[in-house]
Amino acid sequence: MRIIFSLALVFGSVLLADIKAVKTTTDLSKTLPADSVWKDIPKEPVNLVAQYMVNPKPKVNHTPLIEVQAIHDGQWIAFRLTWKADSKSEAGKTGQFSDAVAMQFPVKEGSPPPIFMGMKGNPVHIFHWRAQYQKDEEKGKPEMKDLYPNMNPDMYPMEFKDSGHVKGLNAEKREVYSPGKASGNPQSYQKNSAVDEIVAEGFGSSSVIENKMSRGHGVYDPKQKTWTVVISRPLVRPNGSVLKPGQNGFMAFAVWQGAKQEVGSRKAITPNWVSLQILGPT
Amino acid sequence: MAKVKNWHLGRDMEYVYEENRPKRQWSIVFDLNKCIGCQTCSMACKTTWTSGKGQESMFWNNVETKPWGSYPLGWDVKVLEKLGHQEWKKHEPYRGKTIFEAAEPTETTVHFFPTDEDWMYPNNGEDDCTGNVSHGTHLNLPHDQWFFYLPRTCAHCTYPACLAACPRKAIYKRPEDGIVLIDQSRCKGYGECVRSCPYKKSMYNPYTRTSEKCIGCYPAVEQGYQPMCVQNCIGKIRVMGFINPPWKARKDNPVDYLVHQMGLALPYYPQLGLEPNIYYIPPIHANREYLTQMFGPKVDDAIKQYKKIKDDPRTQGLLVLLGSTDRIMHSFDVKHGVAYGYDEKGDEIVSVPVIEHSYERPRYDSKYEAVRNNTP
Ligand code: SF4
Ligand code: SF4
Ligand code: SF4
Repeated sequence: MRIIFSLALVFGSVLLADIKAVKTTTDLSKTLPADSVWKDIPKEPVNLVAQYMVNPKPKVNHTPLIEVQAIHDGQWIAFRLTWKADSKSEAGKTGQFSDAVAMQFPVKEGSPPPIFMGMKGNPVHIFHWRAQYQKDEEKGKPEMKDLYPNMNPDMYPMEFKDSGHVKGLNAEKREVYSPGKASGNPQSYQKNSAVDEIVAEGFGSSSVIENKMSRGHGVYDPKQKTWTVVISRPLVRPNGSVLKPGQNGFMAFAVWQGAKQEVGSRKAITPNWVSLQILGPT
Repeated sequence: MAKVKNWHLGRDMEYVYEENRPKRQWSIVFDLNKCIGCQTCSMACKTTWTSGKGQESMFWNNVETKPWGSYPLGWDVKVLEKLGHQEWKKHEPYRGKTIFEAAEPTETTVHFFPTDEDWMYPNNGEDDCTGNVSHGTHLNLPHDQWFFYLPRTCAHCTYPACLAACPRKAIYKRPEDGIVLIDQSRCKGYGECVRSCPYKKSMYNPYTRTSEKCIGCYPAVEQGYQPMCVQNCIGKIRVMGFINPPWKARKDNPVDYLVHQMGLALPYYPQLGLEPNIYYIPPIHANREYLTQMFGPKVDDAIKQYKKIKDDPRTQGLLVLLGSTDRIMHSFDVKHGVAYGYDEKGDEIVSVPVIEHSYERPRYDSKYEAVRNNTP
């Protein structure tokens, strides 16, 4: 508590938000931003600051505010996150970056680890939604022709017609010539979920864990210039964070504005843990 | 920030990590007086490493025509402009700022992110001369109008900006040979390396959504062979070897000899502060101010040295060894008009006559009643 207090002094403008997840009876495993279940759920404003711990840092804070709604059904907990973004950015070509949002939870109960992605022995569990991943989920991973419709490469030597002489060398196997894929980088594969789940033990240490359960869906409103993203997760995530009804826990947020070249450590963050109360019977 | 020794600058400088020199350092020397701009090196690299999806306009090795050519577009002028005016007096350490020292407090380096289109014109400015030759002009040295070819690979820098800038620490420098690699399993495509490498030798692959760069042909190097772009150089202008810092230089090491012993080969844009490990023998007839900006104040001495090679059989010998073997030469010797290259164990891998035998035949062959001429 002392840490939270002193950081709040440093960032005098930062309001200590208090997120309350209300219990509902609706099944939340598939909830979307426009669902009626969100109608009466209060929006908790959470202030963000430009990431200030490690270089490179954003020069200005592009996302001063994110509004958070939270509900749970005893099995799943869902968060509806809204923030202003001048334009929608889904990455793709060189130098284009994706709009994204992340929620972070401590893995261990008790006092939370350092907010900057945890520390050795005291990890954090992150749910990272990217507009780029959602596009993958909806339309498939873009081919070069999707990114550069007018491009005309003479040939790809590895795309030769299978004459049957090289046994079993199908299109999938040829992907070993794609270095990111060959080394198993999740980044290089088609994303089947808009949300990556990550476990981190300190800055730059994050690694993607297999995501079979959490879901995310975002809608960009070009008139209001807002993103609304719902991320739902099971309360209990084995090998990850475990949330319980009746618990007073913590969470944190980060937002990246792709069109403002935000990626990696260029992001807006909650400078301290935000309290998360999960209401309802224990 | 740590204080590290940068011998290119003749002083200590600031870097994100402590000084940690590899056991040996991968290095290439290029003799720019001999490059013919044939792009065989570019194709050798391309067909070996970057013929896949997302690598369409990726050239880990490229050859650009200076001063008008550049790949990606304007990389050098943009970096120099961002760094701003800096002074470097002859025979003195560099007093200006490096890209690390001049960085804003929120950044690791002074940098820019090339646009997508900037990568799409690798032949921009090719063979373009500085200007038109006006009527009545005669030959002057250095040339009034000039251009030269600048072949470039990643410099596997001693202080890589790409590595310094990666917040995920997905870039590492191998202790065994100093080759700088992007871990393809950990890169998340943030592009901080693309942004920060002043030489723009880290490139983004939109298909794998990771950044990629020259790998120094490490599979060949591990087997004692020179990289593809070196082996296939038509002009025989290149030699790859392991360079030592000046305080450990060995006279019989080909790279040490050219760089330290003779002062013939210089790093390019050393003022940026990366201690890049590709070295150039400057083109002696190009504009001197331009060369000074590119290679630093030692360029005058390097050119003076180059002009003395005609009386220096040892250096002549080493220069004919360039392109004469696919293997990595760890040492060389020149005796009785023959240049020898040796492997790590000291076994001979190549020998070449320093001066090729020439035969003179009479102009008129009476037997065949034919006139000979010099047309090959
Ligand atoms: S040339 Fe660029 S990419 Fe290569 S090691 Fe140096 S900073 Fe990194
Ligand atoms: S060293 Fe190898 S990978 Fe690097 S530019 Fe030359 S051929 Fe390409
Ligand atoms: S192959 Fe050699 S001569 Fe040809 S462009 Fe490349 S460096 Fe120059």
